[in-house]
Amino acid sequence: MQTSLKHALPSDFLALSTKLIGLAAIAALFSFSLLSEAAEKLPRLANGKPDFSGIWQTTSAADYDLEPHSNRVDAPPGAGVVEGGTIPYLPKALAQKKENFAHRETDDPRIKGWTLGIPRGNYYPEPFQIFQRANDIKQVFQFGHSVRTIYTNGSLHQEDAPDYWLGDSRGKWEGDTLVVDVTNFNDRTWLDRAGNYHSDQLHVVERWAYIDSNTIAYKATIEDPQVYSRPWNLEVILHRHREKNFQLIEDYRYTLEYDQHYPPKPDSQ
Amino acid sequence: MDTHKYTPLGIGVLAVMAALFSLTSQAADPVKPAAPAATPAPAAQAPAGGGIANERAFPAIASGKWTGKRTADGQPDVSGHWSNTIANHNNFTDPQGGIPNDPAPPRRPLGPREERAPSRVSDPVSGEVPFQPWALAKVKEFQVGFHNPTEPRFVEPLARCAPGGIPKSFYWHGYEIAQYPGYIVFFFNSGTRIIHLDGKPHLAENIKLWNGDSRGHWEGNTLVVDVGNHNGKALFGRSGEFISENGKIQERYIFDNSNKRYNYVATFTDPSVYTRPFEVTIPARRWTADDKPNGWHFETERSNHPGKEVLLDRDERICAENNGGFGLGASRGRK
Repeated sequence: MQTSLKHALPSDFLALSTKLIGLAAIAALFSFSLLSEAAEKLPRLANGKPDFSGIWQTTSAADYDLEPHSNRVDAPPGAGVVEGGTIPYLPKALAQKKENFAHRETDDPRIKGWTLGIPRGNYYPEPFQIFQRANDIKQVFQFGHSVRTIYTNGSLHQEDAPDYWLGDSRGKWEGDTLVVDVTNFNDRTWLDRAGNYHSDQLHVVERWAYIDSNTIAYKATIEDPQVYSRPWNLEVILHRHREKNFQLIEDYRYTLEYDQHYPPKPDSQ
Repeated sequence: MDTHKYTPLGIGVLAVMAALFSLTSQAADPVKPAAPAATPAPAAQAPAGGGIANERAFPAIASGKWTGKRTADGQPDVSGHWSNTIANHNNFTDPQGGIPNDPAPPRRPLGPREERAPSRVSDPVSGEVPFQPWALAKVKEFQVGFHNPTEPRFVEPLARCAPGGIPKSFYWHGYEIAQYPGYIVFFFNSGTRIIHLDGKPHLAENIKLWNGDSRGHWEGNTLVVDVGNHNGKALFGRSGEFISENGKIQERYIFDNSNKRYNYVATFTDPSVYTRPFEVTIPARRWTADDKPNGWHFETERSNHPGKEVLLDRDERICAENNGGFGLGASRGRK
């Protein structure tokens, strides 16, 4: 049989197409199993909670301006990341925002190397690293190398806490979503380099959830009765840095102004 | 909104800052005796001065096996709160001897040198950094200029919010050690060090950093760290010792199996500044929830928590243009 069929073209076609169908079926099964594996194998801590450890960064233009904007000298265009388009400023606050925008080249706290704050640090175009344990999550921001702690140990906001640059962050899990309530802010940070801002009455609720093992959906509800007429939402996507040997490089940039004075050098130099 | 105008700091401001810094150090140095060390060495006694300076001798710890608990990824579990047991950064080689040339008289007579903690330089036996003559001259100039800083170089960079750097971070307030798969991270009062345990190569040599670039691995009870990419800008203390950007630092963190103490032992090499390599030793002890919070060594407070378990909060450490005190970013104090 085999010998005779070997030279029969139709049979060859039949055999070949059978093989191809088989391969396709195997390939389909394989890719299906890869997909389901990806869905099942989100990184998790020993306690089963999603593990966001890694180095993350947005590709969005959020830090240039949270609101929809055309290109301009100091910013690429962006469709905006605010739900509904614009931030619902109170009239007086809108005037302040416009003032900030006019003086953004000098007044943006970023220029001084000050801590970016929350939520801005999460969508600033420099990486941050998450170090996660069951009881707390540390975010180390490359910009300024400031460190934020999100407590996930069931503790509540301090009753007598001072104002912080990064706020007082208490997280809890709703399924696989990390929900962080952030209070006790100072008023020294901006929300972006377009002068969008807040007061020390800022209250942020963040929702962190994996889209897949290398992508996080980051949502924040921003509330500040001194500045906005109602709470509003923003959303950006964070991507995991996967370049070979990628690491944070400390960026204590507020030292650049004076660091040339150190260390001492021989007089001849 | 309170927007802060940026102004380059003038010399007058530098002088005021230096004075404020000096005051802060005294305020941070409590008059009441500090809590005793968890495992005091037989020779350890509270020296004159008390406060931060709570030991004048400390035990050696041998490198060897680790018999204590381990993290899930197999590291000796040394995570928690730690602080040095001897003194702050007033004086590198005479840690309990006060700031060199301090015009303010010591609050208590210092007494003979041998009644104070030894130099942090453990080799050579002289306890002195083996500076080349030009570098020693610069240190002496700093020790005079520090008290009336007429030039920016006489201001300790930590007073301008620069990270404490190496080795000063180990004796500038307490700090937290946290461990993660592939990492051990030091959250200092002023600055953070991420030590990579995965064997990846150092950054390119032209990248220079306040805290350097750290690669480590465990040998029994000892964390061995190679520091490259150091910018040499963080002085070792108010006594002005330094390393340059050509320097290399090899660190050994030797943890006692009691998990209550460790000694930091490091070799500093820099042919452009020193005549030979030298060794630095800094003892540290663990602080736990059983200790009372301490405004210098153990800057924590009890969490607001409905359960009975004692949980600790640690405030963010953010310093910008000296707002809110040194290393503490809060814009106003606790109510």
